[in-house]
Amino acid sequence: MNKELRISKFLVRYSLFNFLFNNMNTTDFVETEDLTKVYSTGKIQVIALEDVNLSVRQGEFLGVTGPSGSGKSTLVNLLGGLDTPSSGNIKVHGRFISELNKEELALYRRYQVGMIFQSFNLISSYTAVENVAFPLLFAGVAKRERNSRAEQLLAKLGLSGRKDHLPSELSGGEQQRVAIARALINQPKILLADEPTGNLDSKTSRQIVQTLSDLNKSQGLTVIVISHQESLLAEFADNVIRLCDGKVVGQVKSQ
Amino acid sequence: MRIRDYIEQSFANLSKKKLRTFLTTFGVVIGIGALVSMISFGQGVQKNITDRFRELELFNYISVSMGSQQNHYDPDNNTMDEERETKDEYLAPQFTGGLKPNVLDDSFIQKIAQLKGIESAFPEVRFPAMVRFKEKEEFSLIQVLPAYICQSSLTKLRAGKPYASDDANSLIISDSMLHRMRIKDNHEVIGQQIELTTLTLDYGFFNLGNIASFMLARSDPNTKRADRLPFSNKSYKFTIVGVMERMGFGGAMPIRSDIFIPPGPSQRMDKLSLTSIWDFFPAAGGPRQSKGYPSVSVRVSSVKYVEPVKKQIQDWGFKTFALLDQLEEMKRAFIFMDMFLFAVGMIAIVVASLGIINTMVMSILERYKEIGIMKAVGASDRDVKKIFFFESGVIGFLGGVFGLALGWAVSMLINQVVNYFLARQGVPYVNYFSFPWWLCLGAVVFSILVSLVAGIYPTIRAVRVDPVIALRHD
Repeated sequence: MNKELRISKFLVRYSLFNFLFNNMNTTDFVETEDLTKVYSTGKIQVIALEDVNLSVRQGEFLGVTGPSGSGKSTLVNLLGGLDTPSSGNIKVHGRFISELNKEELALYRRYQVGMIFQSFNLISSYTAVENVAFPLLFAGVAKRERNSRAEQLLAKLGLSGRKDHLPSELSGGEQQRVAIARALINQPKILLADEPTGNLDSKTSRQIVQTLSDLNKSQGLTVIVISHQESLLAEFADNVIRLCDGKVVGQVKSQ
Repeated sequence: MRIRDYIEQSFANLSKKKLRTFLTTFGVVIGIGALVSMISFGQGVQKNITDRFRELELFNYISVSMGSQQNHYDPDNNTMDEERETKDEYLAPQFTGGLKPNVLDDSFIQKIAQLKGIESAFPEVRFPAMVRFKEKEEFSLIQVLPAYICQSSLTKLRAGKPYASDDANSLIISDSMLHRMRIKDNHEVIGQQIELTTLTLDYGFFNLGNIASFMLARSDPNTKRADRLPFSNKSYKFTIVGVMERMGFGGAMPIRSDIFIPPGPSQRMDKLSLTSIWDFFPAAGGPRQSKGYPSVSVRVSSVKYVEPVKKQIQDWGFKTFALLDQLEEMKRAFIFMDMFLFAVGMIAIVVASLGIINTMVMSILERYKEIGIMKAVGASDRDVKKIFFFESGVIGFLGGVFGLALGWAVSMLINQVVNYFLARQGVPYVNYFSFPWWLCLGAVVFSILVSLVAGIYPTIRAVRVDPVIALRHD
């Protein structure tokens, strides 16, 4: 296949992808239908999620809480397109994520979702600005523009003075803010945060959740945050649900 | 991702582990260097030989010898005896029942000289002799060369001039023989006397008394041994008139010797050519008139005349040998030699590629989490694949470029050392290594390809990294 044909096919697919995700006007932005994930190790089967039905509106701040092993991280991985469900469906903006092929899932992760992790997951040999600019590399953005956009985001998050520092030279809170900036660099529609406060003290945890809440309000971002800190979520989130043994067992807060 | 980004990323990632990258690349450098040296040596030898052959017009040369072909040449009336078959090519003429034999004599040479495209035709006469000059002795094969050949462009004189006539009592010596005799100034020998001592059969030895005592000496250890062999020697004095240049792969075919004398004095000399069994049979006539020359050298003015001239000579019943016929054989031999050298060089490349696989696998294990992050922020499998392929390719590129440089440097060093030692033996400077453009380009491309192949397995491992597991990895 020649290069031109490959590029045209990619552009058609990418345009269709953007059309599907950006032009559908549905009230429920993220939906799950009987979402189930079973991990098999030899003969042992572990049910991480079982028949989870969720509905998140566009611009909603959803908190998910629950004890360890309740399936919170599995839910984030499935919503973020990092993992595939054993059964059930995930619908984002009206499009079934489980129907996407590997390339389309990569595009989904690149342009539709931003992810934040408990252990920050920054590349240790990259500076703050390089870490933030990293996703733009896969979007084919030129180096100068990558750095410029990353610096702007860092400045917004109050880290302009730390942009050339390695992660090891930053505090936990600063590292998490760098991770937030990285998640936002491609202007996603959904922000998924898996225990973003897990490695932080209570004061910094509050600042981080506050930042996520501000982003939700100012940019209309759909934010889904997973945390043990139920009270913190209850303070900032629009809705908070509780998971236990892979099932939704209750709603802590409802608007 | 853009191509430029892939390249930048590769250099950035590889530079993080400088020592490991250096060692891996150095492995490739050695591999490519060895391969390049091997192939350039094969190419150098091939180029030297074929270029030299062309330069000396060796493909224009035909050697004619007494043959076993069915046709027989009658030099007097130029007729063929096509019905007769030669019984035995080693039989003496007088044993063939008086039939006209194939004889390479002067009249035959004149006939050949009249064929179209003939540049020269002269008998190939060589005989061994001890050369004595300024109390130094050197054994050599003396070549008889007609004066007109000596005066032609086939010979390159470094000092002096060709001998004036076929009867002159003078000779030409090669510069390499002078070098072996530790004479540095070619001009100082011009006009000086030189002595040639030839070996000949002592026919007087062959009487019943001598033979009986010789046989007894062999059978009875108590009997006194025959006190001498049936050989005698004789010395001749010549004047050196010229010094000829001796080239790396010999002189212009069929001019290959260190001493050249004209035909006149050669005919007057008692000598054993040791090129024909008939030298040992005095009854065969001794002089050349009856049995002719052992072979005749024929040069044509262009390669296009080789085939027709060869065919004509064969039709006259003689054997021919042309280097042109050997060209295809030579090409096959060169291919075989190149393949052998390539195979030897490939051993180093295989070892180097194992180094690349090891380095890349190590890199993937170390960057396991980074691969997970890449995938989480939107890198596709294709992006991951390309990132690792580019890293392998960069190792290959650097290995190829520096390997080529190393191969070139080592080859030049070997060339200088070999030429230094050969120069002491009078061998002129020869470039034993050749670096054609395709070898330089091919070495780099091949290095990149080998590195990419070595990168396949690590890349597959990188693509298969599960981001969920990788992101939990410490």
